[in-house]
Amino acid sequence: MGRVGYRAFRLSQVKGEVNGALEAIVRHPCARHRKHMNRAPGARWIAFLFGLLLTANGSMRDGGAVAAGELISELQALRLVPEHPTLWGAKASQRFVVLGTFADGLERDVTAHAVLTLSDPTLATIDSGARVTVRADGACDLIAQVGGCKASTRVQFEGSSQTLPFSFARDIGQILTKRGCNTSDCHGSVKGQKGFKLSLNASYPQEDYKWIIEGGVYKVLTTEQSEPPKPRINKEQPEESLILQKPAGVVPHGGGKRLDVGSMDYRTILAWVQNGAPYGEDDGKAPIAIEGLKAFPPDVVLDPQGKHQLLVTALLSNGRNEDVTDQATYTSNNVEVAKVNGDGMVEAVSTGETAIVIRGVGRVASARVGVIAQPIPNYPASPGSRNFVDEHVFAKLRKFNIVPSGLSGDAEFLRRVCLDLTGTLPSPNRARAFLADPDPDKRDKLIEILLASPEYVDFWAYRFGDLFRVHFTARQDLRGTHQYKDWVRNRIALNKPYDQTARELIAVQGWGGTTQHYYRVTSLMTPQEIMAEQMRVFQGLRLECAQCHNHPFEAWSQDQFWGLAAFFGRMTPVNSYLILDLPSAVAGKTVNHPRTKAEVQPAFLDGTTVPESKLDDLRMTLARWMTSAENPYFARATVNRIWGYFFGRGIVEPVDDMRSTNPPTHPKLLDALARHFVERGFDIKDLIRTIVQSRAYQLSGEFNETNRKDLINCSRSLPRMLEAVVLMDAISVVTGVEEVFELDNFAGGGSTPPGTRAIDLIPDISPSNFMDVFGRPNRQALPEPVNDVTVGQALHMLAGSTYTEKISMEGGRVDRLVKSGANNREILEELFLAALCRLPTEYERTELDKILDKDPSRKENVEAVAWALISSREFAYNH
Amino acid sequence: MEKPRYARCNESDVTRREVLRVGSLSLLGISLGQYLQVSKALADNGLAGGPVKAQACILLWLEGGPSHMDTWDPKPNSAFKPISTNVDGIQISELFPRVARHMDKLAVIRSVRTEEDNHPQGTCYTLTGHRPGAALKFPSLGSIICKETGPRNELPQYVLVPQPCEHAFTSAFQDAFSANFIGGEYNPMVLPDPSQDDFRVADLTLPKSMSFEQIANRRTCLSVVDRFYREKENLAEFGLMDASSRQALAMLTSPGVKNAFDLSQETEKTKDAYGRDRVGQSVLLARRLVEGGCRFVTASGYRGAEWDTHGNNDKILRETLAPTLDRTLSVLLEDLKQRGLLETTLVVVMGEFGRTPDVNAAGGRDHYAKCWSLLLGGGGIRGGQVIGASDERAANVADRTVSIGDLFATIYKAFGIDYTKTYMSPVGRPVYIANSIGDEQGQPIQELV
Repeated sequence: MGRVGYRAFRLSQVKGEVNGALEAIVRHPCARHRKHMNRAPGARWIAFLFGLLLTANGSMRDGGAVAAGELISELQALRLVPEHPTLWGAKASQRFVVLGTFADGLERDVTAHAVLTLSDPTLATIDSGARVTVRADGACDLIAQVGGCKASTRVQFEGSSQTLPFSFARDIGQILTKRGCNTSDCHGSVKGQKGFKLSLNASYPQEDYKWIIEGGVYKVLTTEQSEPPKPRINKEQPEESLILQKPAGVVPHGGGKRLDVGSMDYRTILAWVQNGAPYGEDDGKAPIAIEGLKAFPPDVVLDPQGKHQLLVTALLSNGRNEDVTDQATYTSNNVEVAKVNGDGMVEAVSTGETAIVIRGVGRVASARVGVIAQPIPNYPASPGSRNFVDEHVFAKLRKFNIVPSGLSGDAEFLRRVCLDLTGTLPSPNRARAFLADPDPDKRDKLIEILLASPEYVDFWAYRFGDLFRVHFTARQDLRGTHQYKDWVRNRIALNKPYDQTARELIAVQGWGGTTQHYYRVTSLMTPQEIMAEQMRVFQGLRLECAQCHNHPFEAWSQDQFWGLAAFFGRMTPVNSYLILDLPSAVAGKTVNHPRTKAEVQPAFLDGTTVPESKLDDLRMTLARWMTSAENPYFARATVNRIWGYFFGRGIVEPVDDMRSTNPPTHPKLLDALARHFVERGFDIKDLIRTIVQSRAYQLSGEFNETNRKDLINCSRSLPRMLEAVVLMDAISVVTGVEEVFELDNFAGGGSTPPGTRAIDLIPDISPSNFMDVFGRPNRQALPEPVNDVTVGQALHMLAGSTYTEKISMEGGRVDRLVKSGANNREILEELFLAALCRLPTEYERTELDKILDKDPSRKENVEAVAWALISSREFAYNH
Repeated sequence: MEKPRYARCNESDVTRREVLRVGSLSLLGISLGQYLQVSKALADNGLAGGPVKAQACILLWLEGGPSHMDTWDPKPNSAFKPISTNVDGIQISELFPRVARHMDKLAVIRSVRTEEDNHPQGTCYTLTGHRPGAALKFPSLGSIICKETGPRNELPQYVLVPQPCEHAFTSAFQDAFSANFIGGEYNPMVLPDPSQDDFRVADLTLPKSMSFEQIANRRTCLSVVDRFYREKENLAEFGLMDASSRQALAMLTSPGVKNAFDLSQETEKTKDAYGRDRVGQSVLLARRLVEGGCRFVTASGYRGAEWDTHGNNDKILRETLAPTLDRTLSVLLEDLKQRGLLETTLVVVMGEFGRTPDVNAAGGRDHYAKCWSLLLGGGGIRGGQVIGASDERAANVADRTVSIGDLFATIYKAFGIDYTKTYMSPVGRPVYIANSIGDEQGQPIQELV
């Protein structure tokens, strides 16, 4: 397979690159550097030649680390990253970053200000990108010096005489990625482009190889091609290969010119075709696979004008690491916050946080970037830590120069915690008692009262009823629905370990409440639908995209998707309500790959297949894997979801979309919460208690100058719109008039028993105009946050029965207040406490007094105040 | 009668008067910027200044799925004979003698192919162009048209009358009629059955005991109570709420809105002509609403899957379904024509699928998605044509498969909407607004638009 010829070509390539690097140095004298470091360009040139000394700089670093430059005098310590690397193979190189710790406790990229030297310059060279390239085997120290600070790390060089075997995945894949051939709007789109398909970002090199050698595009439902595929290479006349002619613009190319004839990448591809277009790494050994990408630093903190170089390391299956910083591509999720160049240099734009998505060698990774505000001269002491939650939250705020708001007032806390734990407003009497109580532990005591209340069970049964989709559709068995609802309620009331709850749900057999939600109307959902739902609920992973094609944002393949779906392939419906898992032979059912049509064997997400002995209870086998303490997703997904209920957003948001390109805002907190949850035996109530006891949860909603724009760091309490059911119940409480919900005729007709609240309903069978307008929980699908503001809602507030009839109803709160002969002050206090948990302000008293005293009808005036309260923004939010 | 279509004029055509009008639209959620964008998009696609006719659409929804060989695609395996129409060479079932006299206004598509043959899934498929899936819920045709065209006045843009799927207008069906990821403002307003004596549009009329003075009093209180919190918080949603609230008040006080929903203003003769039942009155109300300014009205008087004739297909068709449809559809076409609304009002007549070529043991026909028929008319659609053909038993498409994406593209083109558009879904997947089989771009039927 032309291997010898191939080696020769590699050597010439290496030579060319060295020459290129020399040219780059000569062309960039770097004015800024001279200004800062007072050294002549000639000196650097000499330094490079002899490998004695080099200051890392280059045109891309112009203006870099200005902020760090100004702070250089405050530099306290220095370190080099990566530490103790081993460079393997001929022409192996590694980029380094020099990090300085400053008086303010932050680490900054000071590479641009550092002088880098090697203790043994015969072993390697250093170039302008702080890149060390091997010359010979051995070990030496790399030393960085900035001002009076020094740091060093040992660098090992091995196998410098061994040329890396050619690898299609690496050598051709990186060209396709770097040149933008395989992006999602080009050939990397699901169906390819103009008859030529590539995997997104070279994620699946073996597939790419086939597409290039054979041609063709991806079809969602079949492997057959509708037109004869066109090979992209021409072994007889390599220069005529489409893979060269198209990007070079020799023949018309929709994607424009991507490659110059004769350029390095052009020559690489040409030589590859000339050598017979091998896949490489095929000499009997298992190819060295890339198991993951790691970005350093995972969290970048930038000053308002700061810059930071990212380093990207590929983790190889042979245990080695390889620097792929130069091969990766970088995109900022939010260029308003930070931008990144093709080299991996991140630059601050404005205060905020975003992620840099890194794609390379068929894998994705991300680094979180935070651009901090100007330092605060007198950053106040932390509000104190109640538990580990606070330590993580306040440490991050300190780092970002955001001052948290103070602790919430009692009234503010009372309303918030009652709504969050029980979905229920406190009564005016409870509010009065709590506000007057001098006990310093009254908050903890209130939390315990609420956690032990029946309303807690109601509310969390509603929450989990949404998540577990307790619903009823025509022709289903109403008794089964109630049984399922009761099952959910019991799990909450008994505070059952959540892993057990999950297993019961995933692996249920026979007839019982939990089998209900596997049915859509009268037919069993498909294995792939069931699997995707369970993975989203219990693992926080959205795999659905991989049903039809490899996942575009994550390394989930279509094969992994169907391997998991196969666990649910034996579910057999009997009489539309019974579910039994029968052996495939009996059930006559298999799960087949949608494209190849081959039967798929059950396989876990990590690729392991199921041993023969476990084949008879497939779903339980999967459920055990999904819920074990070692499972990397279960605890994190659960704590993240629960956290989201209390802060309006998850540590990863959306809460069930955990992937490397969607990093958490507080990674360590997420880990700590997950660890805590596992240690406490998957105790949901304990987790909730931990969260609401934290100072972070109990902060005030009042913002200060440093946190008014902060929406993600828990630096203050943020308003969260009440869910429709909670809003409905709150209106009932304030007006003192219970809502009577109708029941659909097919669910028995009539109306719900007295005392039924909106959070108790099975949403599908209770017609309610209010719910239609404000958002009825849709339990055909997993819950999604809805924050729609519609004209329908505004109309309902003005003219709808919920807002008009209940207020004036005889026996309601307004009616009773008016009839009791209460004075204006008493009326206002009672209504404000009931709706907002606070007393009216002086302004409100004065203005509303005037309205209450107006003719003709006092009752109408009180109604107007009550209407205003339940229609106000303050009422419609938890804050 | 025909109002100038703001989305159609070129950027340079925007006169001061129009700018003012557009300016006032910002209240309804359309900014001038968006307006100009729409104009530009149209110009870029060479659609501006073209023969755009449709301003509104009435979807006459045949819930349950009508038997195609017993309606618009007569075949020997139907119990009913074909009859001639007022267009040479086009025959339809003898069950529709009155519709036959309006064939010049209608185009029949006889080669529709869809991919779902259960009611909820089929409804979702025909109204969104997508199979239902857990990963994503797709916007309905009506929502997309409302988003792309924008409101004409204070009237709600998208109305569903009455609520379809009587029993379980639960989420399984609801999603098919909804805006889903493009935003709640494009969800339909759902009305009760207008043929009932107590028909009243909830929330659009004040309770009898309430006066506008009281509303004013309440709003004064609200401005007092809201001040405290608004000084503390300023959420983006507050602005939207204020705008919605102003629009709601405008709707409550607008005589135009009141009139549009007020069926009592129709003569007894008209009411009789449309039919005094749910089907007739829903379509009559749809006509009023479109006349008043609605963009898209789904008339679902056949709610409860009336066309789902699993038993006694022929009898039910002959005795109830066909007579009501023949009457109401023909009256609607006449009425629209007479009022000069036919050119601007697209009429779509379809259900969620067709029915089996074979009759089952109960004398019924079952669900069938592989090949079926539908009608299109008005709104600039060139009538008097048959598109596509089925085989001798109407079991398979014999000529020219028409997908839902092709149907949508045709409808969009009639409205002057760029049918090649995609929306970016929250999961980062681009979605064709005219999505054809195999997730391909739907293509308009050139003979029709």
